[in-house]
Amino acid sequence: MEAYIGIDVGSVTTKFAVVDKDGELISHIYLLTQGKPVQMVQQGLTQIKQQLPKEVDICGVATTGSARYLAGVIVGADLVKNEITSHAVATLRHIPEVQTIVEIGGQDSKIIIIRDGIVTDFGMNTVCAAGTGSFLDHQALRLDMSIEEFANQALDSKTPVRIAGRCTVFAESDMIHKQQMGHHIKDILYGLCQALVRNYLNNVGLGKDIRPPVVFQGGVAFNRAIVKALQEELNTEIIVPPHHELMGAIGAALLAHEEMVSSNNGSKFKGFEASEEKYHISSFECKACPNLCEIAQISINGQVLARWGGRCDLWERSPSN
Amino acid sequence: MWKTFFEELGAEVVVSPPTTQVMVSEGSSRVVADTCLPVKVFLGHVLSLVDKCDYIFIPAVRSVKSKIYNCSKFLGLPDMTKAVIPESPPILDIEIDVNKGKRHLYQAIYKLGRHFTWNPFKVRQASLAAWQAHLKYRQLMSSQGLTPPQAIAKMTGEVELKAPTSTQATIALIGHPYILYDEHISHRLIHRLEQADNKVLTPEMLTTEELESATTRLVGKAHWTYEDEVVGAGVHYLETRVDGVIGLMTFGCGPDSQMMDMVHRRAAKLRATTFMSLTLEEHTTEGGVVTRLEAFLDMINRRKRRQIEVCV
Repeated sequence: MEAYIGIDVGSVTTKFAVVDKDGELISHIYLLTQGKPVQMVQQGLTQIKQQLPKEVDICGVATTGSARYLAGVIVGADLVKNEITSHAVATLRHIPEVQTIVEIGGQDSKIIIIRDGIVTDFGMNTVCAAGTGSFLDHQALRLDMSIEEFANQALDSKTPVRIAGRCTVFAESDMIHKQQMGHHIKDILYGLCQALVRNYLNNVGLGKDIRPPVVFQGGVAFNRAIVKALQEELNTEIIVPPHHELMGAIGAALLAHEEMVSSNNGSKFKGFEASEEKYHISSFECKACPNLCEIAQISINGQVLARWGGRCDLWERSPSN
Repeated sequence: MWKTFFEELGAEVVVSPPTTQVMVSEGSSRVVADTCLPVKVFLGHVLSLVDKCDYIFIPAVRSVKSKIYNCSKFLGLPDMTKAVIPESPPILDIEIDVNKGKRHLYQAIYKLGRHFTWNPFKVRQASLAAWQAHLKYRQLMSSQGLTPPQAIAKMTGEVELKAPTSTQATIALIGHPYILYDEHISHRLIHRLEQADNKVLTPEMLTTEELESATTRLVGKAHWTYEDEVVGAGVHYLETRVDGVIGLMTFGCGPDSQMMDMVHRRAAKLRATTFMSLTLEEHTTEGGVVTRLEAFLDMINRRKRRQIEVCV
């Protein structure tokens, strides 16, 4: 059986999706990246291998997410794609009539505008990570509750309080202030959800023509309180697709399929053995010019596979020496 | 143009090297954090020249068109430099203000020339030569589609330009030259686009008339100096239906943020050309720019492919 793997290595989680030649999801894995992308990609490969039936033949691999280049070198990817295209491709397959995709992940949030099945506009959060998964995690941790409990409590709220959502620093001090004034935790939590949604729409969604159907995906879509807040703010139904957290990986797998069909070349996939190789990552400061770029390199048995991080092509051009 | 002027007067001209991280951080260290990135970069360039020359030429460009004045940062550049870089060599500052009339401009140029010669005819000759150089430079860009760095390289005969090969898409960049062509600030955007087999168009490849008329179509009379580079070029490229337009600006620039917004609205109205604006600042990582650029090009290429499929 032909199968294609998509790997989405995000800042917080690493996702694997395997689809067959009809684009149906066969197998998937959801792991926490824990700041160790190389190990997690290898671990994911091992687990995927165990899950897949024996007769599966991997015909193509694509990587996406912020560590896409790194992951691509490890597994021998046929395609390295950005997250926006991957997400759009996956969503269009499941919900072809979609016009707006809201994606909120661990570190970044995006909006993708689609008309007639084509991406026409997109936006990403700029430097600020306010309103992404990491901040919600941090707040749940501070209040000593799990993120599931956070969502449940927030959903209970009847009279949410107003929280300043412009900046996480202000949001946190505002939350503490409201807490000390004697407001219920559940009202503060839902107030925070509303603030994050407002912040998202005002920053990432600024000037975008948001039209239904709106699809919400990414890890934060697990949080039903955020879904509810988004629904209230946009005043339209929000679709959270099944496997919404895997959309990037599924999209990458679909793109791998597309790429292999059009290119007619064999896959560059290194096989599941890549999970047992010892990769060595190191970095150094390039002294060729005053920019002092930090060059990262990944090597195997002393042989350099790839280098990146430079402002010029000096190191990227010559991985062999 | 100015290089020719000074060389005609027998001076040796030293041009600051391309921007580096060191220049940006040293420039930033001299001013308050709120100052815009181009000024920080500028001061970094001045600092890089401190031990290398006897004079630094910093004109105060007040206006280059009738009734349109320049950004206050430009007006005050010589004075600002004197204040924050006291170790700088003497600054040759002249005021360029066409609103004060031609006589004022000529006087400014003679005043500048006086530093090198007492002979007014020599100054006159040098300025004519400089003007010829400038016309040739403009002509190279608008007729042959060269970017300013390419045009300068061609004039000084440094490199032979290779002809562009097959192209995926035609992408127009709009923004001020000090952002577009600064490879450090723009994260080699032009280079990246060309690497991905795209044809890159920039504002300088249009004639002044094309730029001005496009600006007029959208906003009437321009409000700011250098508005044509953004609004004029933006409107022109949107209307001529290139595949995509990317607007480049730096964080904290008031006029730019308004001008980009106007172009953005225009793009939304026309709905034919894809538009994206990128805001850059000194902390911008390459990752952010690269991801957006990749997604932008994918968007254009997938759209083009779809159109071809529909036609077949």
